[in-house]
Amino acid sequence: MEKAEEIILRGLPISRGIGIGLPLFFSSTDDDIPEISISQSGIEAEVQRYRQALALSRQDVERLQQLSLNDGPPEIVNILGAHLEMLQDPMMTTVIEEKIRSICKNPETIVLKVIDEYKKRFRNIKDGFFQERIRDIIDVSRRVLGHLRPTQAMKLCSVPNNSIILAHDLVPSDTVEATAAQVGAFVTASGGITSHAAIIARAKGIPYVAHVDIKLFKWFDRGRVIVDGTQGIVIVNPTAETLKKYQALKKGQLQNFRLMQNATHLNGETIDGYQVRIFANLEGPNDIDYAIKHGASGVGLLRTEYLLFPRKRFPTEAEQAVIYRKMAKRLEGRPLVIRTYDIGGDKKFEFDPASADAHYFTAIGDEPNPALGCRAIRFLLRFPNLMDAQIRAILRASQYGDVHLLIPMVSDISELRQVRARVAKLSLEMSRKGIKVVRSIPIGCMIEVPSSALLCDAMAKEADFLSVGTNDLVQYVLAADRNNVLTSNIYSPAHPSILRLIRMIVASASRFKKPLLLCGESAADPVMIPLFLGLGIRDFSVASRNIPIVKHIIRKWRILDACQLAEQALEYSCADDLKRFLEERVSSFNG
Amino acid sequence: MALKLTSKVKVKNPLGLHTRPAAAIVKMLQPLKSSVSFTYKNETINARSIMSILMLAARKNSQIVITTEGDDAEAAMRVMVRAFEEQFGEK
Repeated sequence: MEKAEEIILRGLPISRGIGIGLPLFFSSTDDDIPEISISQSGIEAEVQRYRQALALSRQDVERLQQLSLNDGPPEIVNILGAHLEMLQDPMMTTVIEEKIRSICKNPETIVLKVIDEYKKRFRNIKDGFFQERIRDIIDVSRRVLGHLRPTQAMKLCSVPNNSIILAHDLVPSDTVEATAAQVGAFVTASGGITSHAAIIARAKGIPYVAHVDIKLFKWFDRGRVIVDGTQGIVIVNPTAETLKKYQALKKGQLQNFRLMQNATHLNGETIDGYQVRIFANLEGPNDIDYAIKHGASGVGLLRTEYLLFPRKRFPTEAEQAVIYRKMAKRLEGRPLVIRTYDIGGDKKFEFDPASADAHYFTAIGDEPNPALGCRAIRFLLRFPNLMDAQIRAILRASQYGDVHLLIPMVSDISELRQVRARVAKLSLEMSRKGIKVVRSIPIGCMIEVPSSALLCDAMAKEADFLSVGTNDLVQYVLAADRNNVLTSNIYSPAHPSILRLIRMIVASASRFKKPLLLCGESAADPVMIPLFLGLGIRDFSVASRNIPIVKHIIRKWRILDACQLAEQALEYSCADDLKRFLEERVSSFNG
Repeated sequence: MALKLTSKVKVKNPLGLHTRPAAAIVKMLQPLKSSVSFTYKNETINARSIMSILMLAARKNSQIVITTEGDDAEAAMRVMVRAFEEQFGEK
C-alpha cells in the first residue's frame, strides 16, 4: 500500500513546545446518561447519593489544590479555589436537591439539565471571555457526574505515556490531572487562549493547539502525530525527515530541562572569563518569576502586544503602568526592556468586531502585503493615542527600576526621532503634573529591517541601545517566509549575509559605545551561539526556558576559539557550505 | 429590626463579573448574615452564589443594583460597594 501523505493542520497555538505520540480521542461523554424517574420512597436515597458525589468532588478538588500548592503556579490554585466555591454554591447544593425532590428524576438528569440551562444562557452572550468561563461550571458539574457514574470517567492521569489527546474541548480539571509525561500534547476543536485549561497547559509545559478539526483524524491512519504548540501546527503521517527534525527539537527541550537544575546559579561566562549576559524574552508579567528562577540577567524583550490577548483590547495606560511597575520592582535593578506593541500588518488580533478597539485594525484593513505593511512602530505612529498611553505607562514605571523603551521595526531614523520627541514632551507634561519620572529613559531601536541594519552606524549614534531581532531580519534580508514550507529552506540565520550584517552592527554599536542585544530564536540555537559570541555579541535575550542551554553553551567556549570560528565563518559565501562547516566545528566543542 | 438597603454600582474591572470576582464576592459575604441580591437587566439573583453571579454575565460598565436585607445590612452594603469600587482587587 502506498504510504499516506504527510498532512499539516493549522490551528491556534496555545501552549508552546513539541509533542510526538499516538493520538487518543478523549471524551467526557455526558450524552448517553439515561433519564430515570424515581419513586417518592427512593428520593431520599438519590439525594444522599448526590450529596455523596458532591462530597467526593470536593475532596478531589482539595486534593488537586494540595498537589498544585507544592509545584503548581498560583493561577491553578485560584482556579481550583473557585471550583471549590462552586461545589458549595447553593445552585449546586440546595437548588439541585430541591429539583431532585420536585422533578423526581435521577440526579444525573437534573445536573445535565442545569448544565444545559447554563449553556443556553451563555450561548447568547457574544463575549469570548464569558463563554470561556462557562467551562468552569461545566467542569465542576462533570466532576460531580463522574462521581455519580464512577465507571464512566476517563482520566488523563491514566492514559498511556506520550498520548496526543484529541478532544472537542478541555475543561480545567482535565488539564490539572494531566502530567507532561503522559500527555504529549493537547489538540482541541474549540477552546481559546484565555481558557483556564490553556493557562494550566502552559503552566505545566504541555503543548496545546486549538481550533483543529479533530474529526479529520477519524480518516487518517492512526500513526504518530506531531504537535508543535509553538507554531500551532499538527502534523499527521509525518515523513521520516519531519519526524527526525521534530525528535531532535524535542530532545533539545528535554536536555534543556535537565541542564536547568545545574546551570541556573552559574554566571554566563566563557572558559576564559568573558562575561555574557543572558536576558529573558517575556510575554507578560506572570513569567517573570520563572525567568528569574532560570537565572536571567533581566528582561531583554517584553513583548507588550501579548497584553492584548487576555483582554481582547489594548490595555489602558493605568493597566500597563501597574504591570510594568510590578515587573520593574520584581527585577530589583536588573534591566527591563519594554518593546512597544509589535502589531498590525501580519500580526493582527482577531478582535470581536463589536469590541471598542476593533476599529484600529479595520482602519488598516486587509493589506496586500502585510509583512511589509503597517506594523509595529508604523502602526503606533498612526495611532498617537495608543503610543502616548504606552509611553506614559513606561515613564510611570521608569522610577521603579532600570526601564528601557525599545522601538520595533525601525526602518528610518526619523521614527526614532519622533518617538524620542514624544517621550520628551510627555515626560515634561507628566513632571509638570507632579508625576515622578526619571530624567531620561534609554530608547533603543530594533534592528530587524535591512535599511536599519545598513544604517546601523546612524542608528547606533542616535539610539541609546540596539537590539537585533534575528527572526525578522533574516526574513526580510533573505525575502523568505520561514512559515512557508516552500521557502523555509531559504530562511536561515546562518546565512553569510546575516553574519556580515551582524558584524557591521556590532562594530557600529561598539564604535558609539552603545549596548547591543541579540534576540530571536537563533539566539538560543546551540550552533549559532558560539558564532554570535565570536562576532562580538555579549548580551543575548532568549525565552526563559532557553536561558540554561545558552549558559551551558557559553560556558564551554573560549572567546578566542569563538572569534576564530566567526572569522572562518565569514569567509563562506554559500549558505549550505557555511551550515556544514558550523555543524562540524561547533558540535566538537559543544559536546 | 431588619434593615433593607439598595444601592446602584457599576462594574469597573475590565473583565466584568467573571469567576474570580464572583468567588471573591461570595467569600466576602460569608461572615455576614444579611441576604444580598444583585439585580441586573430585570433579573435578581442571590449574591452568595458564584454560579448565579456568573449567570448575569455582567461585563464592564454594567449597572448592578445591590439589595441587602438583615441585621447587618449596612455592613454588607459597605463591603459590596467597596468591593465593586476596588474592582475586587484587580485594579
